[in-house]
Amino acid sequence: MYSAMLKTDGDIIVTQKGIADTFFSDINNSLSAEIRKITGVKESSALILGAAPVDKLPIVAIYGVSDNRYDSYTLASGRYPKEDEVILGSKIFETLKHPKTIVLSKKEFVVSGVFKSRIGFEDGGVVMNLSDAGELFHKSASIFLVSLNDLGKSEAIVTQINALNGDIEAKTTDSFIDSYNQFKIIQTSSDVIGAMAFLMGILGIVSMMSMVVNDRKGEFGIMRSIGLSSRVIIFKLLSETLIIALVAYGVALGASLGILELIEHADKFQGYINGEITTVLMVNVFIVSVTMALLGTFLPALYASRIDPMSLIQRGGA
Amino acid sequence: MRIEAQALEHFYAHEKVLNGVDIEILPGSFTAIIGESGSGKTTLLSILSTLLQPSLGVVRYDGKSLQELGDIDRFRRTNIGFVFQFHYLISYLTLRENIALAALDTTLIDPLLVELGIEKLGSRYSDEVSGGERQRAAIARALINRPSIVFADEPTGNLDTKNALGVYELFKRFAGEGTGFVVASHDKKIADYADIIIEMEDGIVKQIHKR
Repeated sequence: MYSAMLKTDGDIIVTQKGIADTFFSDINNSLSAEIRKITGVKESSALILGAAPVDKLPIVAIYGVSDNRYDSYTLASGRYPKEDEVILGSKIFETLKHPKTIVLSKKEFVVSGVFKSRIGFEDGGVVMNLSDAGELFHKSASIFLVSLNDLGKSEAIVTQINALNGDIEAKTTDSFIDSYNQFKIIQTSSDVIGAMAFLMGILGIVSMMSMVVNDRKGEFGIMRSIGLSSRVIIFKLLSETLIIALVAYGVALGASLGILELIEHADKFQGYINGEITTVLMVNVFIVSVTMALLGTFLPALYASRIDPMSLIQRGGA
Repeated sequence: MRIEAQALEHFYAHEKVLNGVDIEILPGSFTAIIGESGSGKTTLLSILSTLLQPSLGVVRYDGKSLQELGDIDRFRRTNIGFVFQFHYLISYLTLRENIALAALDTTLIDPLLVELGIEKLGSRYSDEVSGGERQRAAIARALINRPSIVFADEPTGNLDTKNALGVYELFKRFAGEGTGFVVASHDKKIADYADIIIEMEDGIVKQIHKR
């Protein structure tokens, strides 16, 4: 998504001070050259971020970029754009059925090439040179993406950039993404929805395992009648649960990754919807779901272990 | 193993199903407990075999109460076998696996299967064999650890006459080798095989016959 694009391309992001959204940010492109002079700065590129209708598509992300940023786009065909030219992301190129030209704000642009990006947000967009984008959106730059030689000095460089001009605000890309309202809203919403779904799933797992153990009371009684200890039987049940939980987790993880992959490549979404399952999330889900499945088995099994074998057989049948 | 039960009483909810039972099971004997349905046979058998705690009273095994025996599961596994009316083999295990689940020494399984005439059925599941064969597998499971005593609750209840007599013959044969049997049944034919017949009625021992 957008956050992934920002993370990939810069260590520091510079915007207009106090702006709520990068799309509304308006900064002076000449400051980029000054930033490049700061010791420790490897590169600074300027971007204009905008959105406009393109042919039949009602809204498409437009990126005006400085020449030094073209390297970020891997060309699948053609060449980087000159004046009055654009390159298209592979997704929008497919959606518009391989156009030779496109119309943006009543102005025709020649499609000089097609680029491919792993970031769906970018792959569904249009890239042009900074001056053409400046004419379209009436600004010289929206943001600067600054890459550093040494990430350890990022805080010091942020301070130096902020000291250059009172109208700009520099942040490390990570802290910018963390504080960016839209990302926060999306993240919080997805966290809440995900947590609810997960909680319901967990309750389902616990209920299911409890029912399974209850259904097997008779079997539990038979095992005890032939002299197996409750401890051995509970261990056996927990081992079975663990295997089921591991298989279920593997299937669920595979399905989730598959669905995310499908969404990312679905033409309908033009790459705008993208998600990720972090290692921390995977580990947390694994621990919680396996623990709850084991608890859902252990508690009814422990209860059953305190009942006479004959009563278990009579209650549970076999 | 000598089993003594004193003043056994048992309740299901508020219903008294055993009402002061005193009996003694002698080592290596073949004891039949007979009586109509609801007379308390199954409850008595369950208590004697440690599968059910009595509401009141005490059972002693060679003079020791259950509390004194310590690990009751271990005691049950090494000393007691149980045959149910409905075989109660675990359906997802083969006959051999069912027996192995109880076995302390799995090398004894094959000879026992041969002895019971089901050596070719070890790899089958319980729903792939006849009722008589299922019951033989259940008997094998009860006998695999060469227990001192085997309890059987209506073991022929679901079998035809031929298979029922076959089961009694098996019990008699193993009883002759030193294993005690206590069989609860309403089938009068059991009396032909038993050394001691305990007749129950309405939760009490009505009569004890010794042969």
